Amino acid sequence: MAEQILKVKDLSKTYMQGKIPVNAVRNVTFTVNQGELIAIMGPSGSGKSTLMALIGCLEKPTHGKILIKDVEVTAVSDRELPRIRREMIGFVFQHYNLLPSLSALGNVELAMRFAGINKKERLKKAEYLLQRLGLGERLHHRPNELSGGEQQRVSIARAIANNPSIILADEPTGEVDSVTRDKIVNIFEELRLHGQTIIIVTHDPEVAKHCDRVIRIKDGTLSHE
Amino acid sequence: MIDLIIKNATQRKVRTILTICGIALGIFALVVMGAMSENFGQTFEKSMSLTSDKIRVFAQSGIFGSGLSEKKVSDVRHVAGVEDAYGVFVTLFDEDQFGMSGKQVLGVPPRKSRNVLEPVELKAGRFLTAGDTYGVVVGKNIAGEYGLDVGNTLELNKKKFTVVGILEYTGSIFDSYAIIPLDTAQKVYNANNSITYIFVQPAPGVDAELLARRIELSVKGVNTISPNELKEQASESLLIFSVVTISSAILAAIIGGLSVMNTMLMSVAERTREFGILKAMGAENKDIILLTLGEAALLGAIGGILGIITGSTATYVLNTWLASKGMVLFIITDRLLIIAMLFAIFIGMVSGTYPAYRAAKMSPMEALRHG
Repeated sequence: MAEQILKVKDLSKTYMQGKIPVNAVRNVTFTVNQGELIAIMGPSGSGKSTLMALIGCLEKPTHGKILIKDVEVTAVSDRELPRIRREMIGFVFQHYNLLPSLSALGNVELAMRFAGINKKERLKKAEYLLQRLGLGERLHHRPNELSGGEQQRVSIARAIANNPSIILADEPTGEVDSVTRDKIVNIFEELRLHGQTIIIVTHDPEVAKHCDRVIRIKDGTLSHE
Repeated sequence: MIDLIIKNATQRKVRTILTICGIALGIFALVVMGAMSENFGQTFEKSMSLTSDKIRVFAQSGIFGSGLSEKKVSDVRHVAGVEDAYGVFVTLFDEDQFGMSGKQVLGVPPRKSRNVLEPVELKAGRFLTAGDTYGVVVGKNIAGEYGLDVGNTLELNKKKFTVVGILEYTGSIFDSYAIIPLDTAQKVYNANNSITYIFVQPAPGVDAELLARRIELSVKGVNTISPNELKEQASESLLIFSVVTISSAILAAIIGGLSVMNTMLMSVAERTREFGILKAMGAENKDIILLTLGEAALLGAIGGILGIITGSTATYVLNTWLASKGMVLFIITDRLLIIAMLFAIFIGMVSGTYPAYRAAKMSPMEALRHG
């Protein structure tokens, strides 16, 4: 049986909107196995992105636990969180979120820089990853010189650069056409074949079709798996 | 990290250039003012070292004061421990009423001219002698300004004087002296036998400070300025001058620093999302602080280098121009350049601290939602 790489237990997040508490995520519990490709689906405002931010250690829950590879990341101090994000999580964002001043190579290499990898090794790996994702000719192009699909591929290369335990992709195909969407989904499928765990937040049923499982969320709670 | 800092700074070129200009202007002011202060300081130090063992006796002001005369000179000369004493008449160059150039005419007994000027040596010619009614010994600056050589003529208060000697360059107030016989000075400047102060040479082995006190007790109606007092008085004036010049320059540099803070705050606000991305990638607060502070320090350093280059050039040009008038107004010292450079970086970093703190304390999720 595959290892349970992610355990979410009774997770809740309450925001204060002015003086009114908003329960963005309520008592969510689920697990994800190593090498699974999971889709989280739900209407706008259902709490999908908050759930992703909690799993990605970008926010702290009000209640509950998250364990990644049996490390309780919700109990880790603020000082330790950057290390957890570096070593365990790879983010892919809807708007790509590449640094505009850096080339494709620079953006991928930057992710490894915070992990303390030496420059030669960083550049070598960044180049290899970009070539693998079909961007060998685009290494030195800046984000504004790349198409949406190319930018998203750079951001995937960046996400996998540090060999994370989990890739969290927030609407990764939200801004691209259907052909590019299929290419991106293919990349995720290929990564899964290599044992990579991937969680995709998506609105798109076509993307969900390729996933092993769909987790549906509504009003902050899981409707059914 | 430095490559990232440079890339960030060069992304918004116009703003970066304007900020650098702000700092450069401040450091320019610091270098120019500082060079002026350094020059006064050095001239002062040299002047002090050349007059260290002499006592000056002035007339006491107030109701008991009665001016200085030859009688007082004789009284002072008879105080135990005094080797020699003689009256000196001092006035400003006539065309220089405000004394800005520091040029002075010194009337001294001709045969004592060597003692008054001691230990300064002659570069050419000789000191004054008894027969020199209209002879003059000039300092290096005056010789330079008027293009004088031994045998040339120098006009003082519409009277022609023949240059008999030129002093070696000392970098002190001696360079700006024109020394003429006391009698002639009193006559040419209509000074009615008036004496500005009495110059006292202590006998060998006599403590100048103690002798100064003894003169005040022995001779009525006089005040003395001992070498130490002279040094204190001059130090005070020098300190006030330095405080005024340096503080105005520091003010200019702080204004430059505010422009760095403004730029960095704008830059941090614009790059909020970028900081969110960096944090999502695992950047630590120290990385974010390093990026922001590093950029501020870089702007400070480039501004500092520019300020130092322009400031040094300006003082060089001004010095070259002033040299034709026999003046040196600026001295650029290593110490000044190091202080200016460190100050530029310091100002940049201090101004970058608050923006860096703002950038570091952002929650990564909030930063990512931004813009």
